[in-house]
Amino acid sequence: MALQRVSFRIRQTVACARSIHTSGCRHLQEALAVEPERNPEPFSIFRTQESDPACQLENHVGQYYTLPPAHIQTVFPHGLPARFQLQMKTFNEGCVMVRPPALEVISYLKRADYSKPALRFLFYGVKGSGKTMSLCHTVHYCSTQGWLVVHIPDAHLWVKNCKELLPSSYNGSRFDQPLQATNWLRNFRVTNEQFLSKIQTRHRYVWTKREFTEEGRPLGELVDQGITRVKSSSDVVGAVIKELRLQSGQPEGCFRMAVAVDGLNALWGRSTIKKEDKSPVSIEELTLMHNLRKLVKNDWCGGAIITALSQTGSLYTPKTAYLPHVLLGEEGFDRMDPFVPVTVSNYSEKEFESCYLYYQDRQWLQHPQSRTEEGKKELVFMSNRNPSALERLCAFL
Amino acid sequence: MAAHTTKICLSLGRINGPGFGQYASLNRATYATALSTSNFTGNKGGPDRGGRGAFVRRPRREPGEPRTEKMDSQQDWSAVYPSAASFRPGSVPLPVRMGYPVKGGVPSEKRGNLELIKIPNFLHLTPAAIKKHCEALKPFCTEWPAGLDSDADLDKHLPIRIETTDYVSAGPSVRNPAARVVTLRVRLSSLNLDEHAREKMLKLLGDRYCKDTDILTITTDSCPLKQQNNDYAMYLLTVLYHEAWKTEAWESEMTRADRREYIWEDSASQQNVLDTLARMATPVPGEGVGVGEGEAPPREELLARPEVQQYRDSVTRLKNEGESEGATLRYREAVKKLLSL
Repeated sequence: MALQRVSFRIRQTVACARSIHTSGCRHLQEALAVEPERNPEPFSIFRTQESDPACQLENHVGQYYTLPPAHIQTVFPHGLPARFQLQMKTFNEGCVMVRPPALEVISYLKRADYSKPALRFLFYGVKGSGKTMSLCHTVHYCSTQGWLVVHIPDAHLWVKNCKELLPSSYNGSRFDQPLQATNWLRNFRVTNEQFLSKIQTRHRYVWTKREFTEEGRPLGELVDQGITRVKSSSDVVGAVIKELRLQSGQPEGCFRMAVAVDGLNALWGRSTIKKEDKSPVSIEELTLMHNLRKLVKNDWCGGAIITALSQTGSLYTPKTAYLPHVLLGEEGFDRMDPFVPVTVSNYSEKEFESCYLYYQDRQWLQHPQSRTEEGKKELVFMSNRNPSALERLCAFL
Repeated sequence: MAAHTTKICLSLGRINGPGFGQYASLNRATYATALSTSNFTGNKGGPDRGGRGAFVRRPRREPGEPRTEKMDSQQDWSAVYPSAASFRPGSVPLPVRMGYPVKGGVPSEKRGNLELIKIPNFLHLTPAAIKKHCEALKPFCTEWPAGLDSDADLDKHLPIRIETTDYVSAGPSVRNPAARVVTLRVRLSSLNLDEHAREKMLKLLGDRYCKDTDILTITTDSCPLKQQNNDYAMYLLTVLYHEAWKTEAWESEMTRADRREYIWEDSASQQNVLDTLARMATPVPGEGVGVGEGEAPPREELLARPEVQQYRDSVTRLKNEGESEGATLRYREAVKKLLSL
């Protein structure tokens, strides 16, 4: 109903651009011509059978690949955006579109030399253009390659709405966030089960008078210590990070580390957490953030740091800001320097076409007008090919 | 007077009773003149009096030929209209028509045309008249200095330009408060400033300096008179110049944040790049073994590399000119080259 009213109003303004559909169709028809060589039975143009990110190439751009359910459980216990998780639950499958920014970063990761300091990548783009999804795609690649993934789903969550703030036992001037730390350790354990027994600690950690972790103990023990003893969980996070930084890239160490941080601008922004005397807590005073800052510095080797900016959860930033220097600020930019900024833009015509066909295939577009040419043009106009806008529009169709 | 003469008339009329007819005409003649003179002065009800009371208006003479017919085409027009005057149809030898025409008609002619009289005219300002004005003003003017032929010469010899505005209006007072505004413009390149002085001057000037044209503009209007504002503007310029050359004790405490522009040298960005490159050149062998100084290439050599120079340019431009898509892309290319991706 709403769409009919809307369509009546904008029918005059929507330009007759049949070429949008036809050119997109031509791309996909070429892909279809190519596909049969690769896949004997392509059941749809917008899907690809390659679910291994390592094997995805430029001609898969715009096509959806399915995340294996086992991977979703282990790799992304907390990483995927909330709306995408809802979509996964509805469609009973997790399909991610292959897009150029993620492919670019994956290609760099394939060619990089891991004896050099860690490379830093930053996804930036307008709101809703797919930065978090690109980050997740890259994380999936790292995970399939057998890397250890340190994924912080949203750094903004650690600087706001903190229910419990404890003064740190390790350093009196800092503050702990036990709940967030415990949560994160739990998810970390789920993601990196296989590494926890292989990596040994190099230092001795004393938690309280009676609790300590010796040298040479497996990392799993450290993580369990953090999950069970909630009070010292933030310090455990710090210890874990320190260990991983020291050991990744070592010849005897057998793993590569991928650090994935979403909402990187939280590290150098402001927080809304207040101390008991109502004075604001600076980011530096939070143990978790302090350790995170050390993690994204490129003074360790044998891995990569992949990050994404986010204006959506950020504090005290204008809505229209999306460029790296603006969101990171002077200090953030200087600390992250030199990094490779990767731009994530709205859908291209081909990608939009693919998304539209996917929704149709999943019977998500129920409104009869949405399946027509006119309806499609309206969707293009209303969403400006912005992925999240399109998703929200289609949600009530 | 009138009463007296009428009395005489009556008395005479009675004496000459029988010879009334003859004498009456004679008497009428003499009395007629007397009557007429007396009646001429005061009589308003003349028509009532028959033949006797015929009043004569002042004889109206015919209007003569308008002056335009007698005008010579080579006459001196500034003698006809020496100053601003209203339109006189008889003095302007032009067949001018003005006014909205009646249906099917033409605009009315100039004779007795109020529209032409109402509007202002410039008949007193013909080119010939203006030439005469100029000639009259010439004794009061001085010559344009020799050698000042082009703008470049002007800038070189007379770098300061002062702009003032005079206002003329007809009203009870000739004064206009807006006439006190004085604008002083000078190019900074014509002032003798060294590096420190220039930086300090730019900080002091703020908005008054235009980077594209290198012109400093000082506008003063705080004093009531133009002369005072003029002096104030010159004073400001002098003070700015001298202050820029002075170095205060607290200027040594200047931090990077106080600087007007971003300088890459000695910045965090430079430090990061040098660290990264040093670490890339000498891979860390293992824990406990330090990086040998001899293996890392020296700082100057690292800085002199072309990709480092390109990176430096991109960062400086990004920070100084504000961020944009183009600046970010340039930065990205520079970083990719630096990290050899």
